[in-house]
Amino acid sequence: MRHFKVKKGEWPSIFGAAAPQMKDNIIPASVAILGADFPGLRPRFEVEEGTRVNVGQVLFRDRKRPKIAFVSPIDGRVSSLAYGPRKTLSACIITAKAVANESQSDPERPDPDDPRPVLLDRGFWPAFRTRPFGRMPEPGAQPEAVFVNAVHADRAAPDPALVLSDQTPQFQLGIRILTRLTEGEVFVCQSRGTPLGPTEDRVTHAGFEGTLAAALPSTHIDRLYAPAPGREVWTIGYQDVAAIGHLFQTGQYRPNRVVAINGPAASRPRLVRTCLGAELADLAVPDAGEAISGNPVTGIHANYLRRFDHQVTLVEAQKAGPNRLRPAVAGQGALIPTRALERALAVDIPPVPLLRALSVGDSEAAERLGVLALVEEDVAALTRHCTSGANYARLLRQVLDDLMEGAA
Amino acid sequence: MTRFGLPRPHGVAGVTLAQAAALVLPFLFVAANDPGRYTVLFGVALVASLVWEWVFARLRKRPPSFHGLTTALVVAIVAPPEIAVWQVVVTVSLGVIFGELVFGGRGFGFLSPATVALALLIISFPELSLPAPTRELALATLPAAALLWALGLISERVILSAVAATFAVLAASGQGIEPVTIATGLAFGLIFLICDPTMAAATNAGRWIYGALAGSLVGLFSVSGITTEAVIFAALMAGIFAPLVDHLVVLAHAYHRARRRNA
Repeated sequence: MRHFKVKKGEWPSIFGAAAPQMKDNIIPASVAILGADFPGLRPRFEVEEGTRVNVGQVLFRDRKRPKIAFVSPIDGRVSSLAYGPRKTLSACIITAKAVANESQSDPERPDPDDPRPVLLDRGFWPAFRTRPFGRMPEPGAQPEAVFVNAVHADRAAPDPALVLSDQTPQFQLGIRILTRLTEGEVFVCQSRGTPLGPTEDRVTHAGFEGTLAAALPSTHIDRLYAPAPGREVWTIGYQDVAAIGHLFQTGQYRPNRVVAINGPAASRPRLVRTCLGAELADLAVPDAGEAISGNPVTGIHANYLRRFDHQVTLVEAQKAGPNRLRPAVAGQGALIPTRALERALAVDIPPVPLLRALSVGDSEAAERLGVLALVEEDVAALTRHCTSGANYARLLRQVLDDLMEGAA
Repeated sequence: MTRFGLPRPHGVAGVTLAQAAALVLPFLFVAANDPGRYTVLFGVALVASLVWEWVFARLRKRPPSFHGLTTALVVAIVAPPEIAVWQVVVTVSLGVIFGELVFGGRGFGFLSPATVALALLIISFPELSLPAPTRELALATLPAAALLWALGLISERVILSAVAATFAVLAASGQGIEPVTIATGLAFGLIFLICDPTMAAATNAGRWIYGALAGSLVGLFSVSGITTEAVIFAALMAGIFAPLVDHLVVLAHAYHRARRRNA
């Protein structure tokens, strides 16, 4: 197993590690599928407000690519369907039913030799993200490689080895399913220890440790296999791989998520077992405070657990009014090239020229620098350390959208 | 992410404050010779630069800034004490306007206003000769350099390659390479002019090249020992070429990236 030490990027937070035992299943009062996780997604709903839904039932499909289905993570009732601008998805909220259904209606085991239609129809396509662009892949696309992210870089996040300890067969089956999607390699990126996936052809294990960037898929791709121009690779999280394995083993859709609750406002760090899109206020009980879905660097203030997060950071509610000691930097401040910027980006791209290209929206220069290897979470540390106060995640998305239009 | 757990400078104003804090000690050492005169020089330079910043902030409808603080300190430290007040006003005004404000303020341009002001001072008033850097000034620069380095505001790459290049060029031209003399001559200008983050190259490979360029120019411009003038012009020339250096580094990086992918 090759091993990589990632020295650039934000070092893990000081918050304590979660206790290794998990609390029982928390069924949240409501869950949401958020448009913010799938930028540009325009849904065609198959349910209405008030419809009763079961776990795994299709809620809506992508309007442009109707093969891609989004399914309900819980039994309950659709309480709100909200559109964003230009008929994109804003949020689809489902209120949980007090008592869960006995069993799912579709226990038939799918065919593991032809997984693509199953993954599309049973709601697993949104678990994949492409590089470049960080979007949901096309239903018929062939990735050059698939990257599974099971790296434990932040002590505050759940330890994948622990989470997978009671679902090793499912995870390994999930990896085998992934090898059916590509003719290239499936890279299992993990921390030190025994290989999590199966030892077989076209499955490569790689170790990563170091900064928080060690747990970012862009870093894995940069070190292991950067796609040639015009080609793409896919990324997926370890809990989704285990859920895919579970689907092909039992025929049941299991939307479970093990989430670490942490941060300055958390009374004690802990792990909870819940489901995709869970309402964060329910997970935070008994703690009050504002919830950030994700870690303090890449996370975002949110009401619901975001699709690709395994971690919730609770912070004190922000006091109203501007901070006198640390006045907010205006969005148009200058960029002073400091060492902090040089050390914030783990992908092999010179950061200051990149930030200059992003801040003026020069997508041509950004592409030359290698911006296609990045998604929003990769530049979060740069936003934190730059004197300009610009939101580079947003600027990056604009540049990526530009390049995507040009490529289409 | 600074060394020794120092707080990170917040925004461009934080960077200016940190640089000003670093400049206080060198200024006190120089000003000890003639406190009254140096206080006047600093005050005039400060007022001149802040007035222009205020004018430009008004014109652009931006909140006023105070980045002229570091410009004024550097000019007051380097300028000869016998300089007339009107000469200070003229050079600082031109330096601040053409080195910084026409580009949009601190950090938006590619030059350091202090370097531009001092270069204009030398060109415009040839009758004035800048005092040679003293050992006290060089010693006072040491803690300042440590502070700026710990905050990540100057790059060790620039310092090392500039010092090495200066030594190499002076040795090649048959001049004395007495380390203490060179360190004394180079220290203040290297830390506060050549290493200025707004002017130096902004890529790691570029920083080595930029430092080497600046150091070689210091060596070339020095006829008998390193003079303040030589350092100032070397900083100005290297600063003008820094964006080109960065551009070439980026092109080389893109080329290597493409090759790595196709391999």
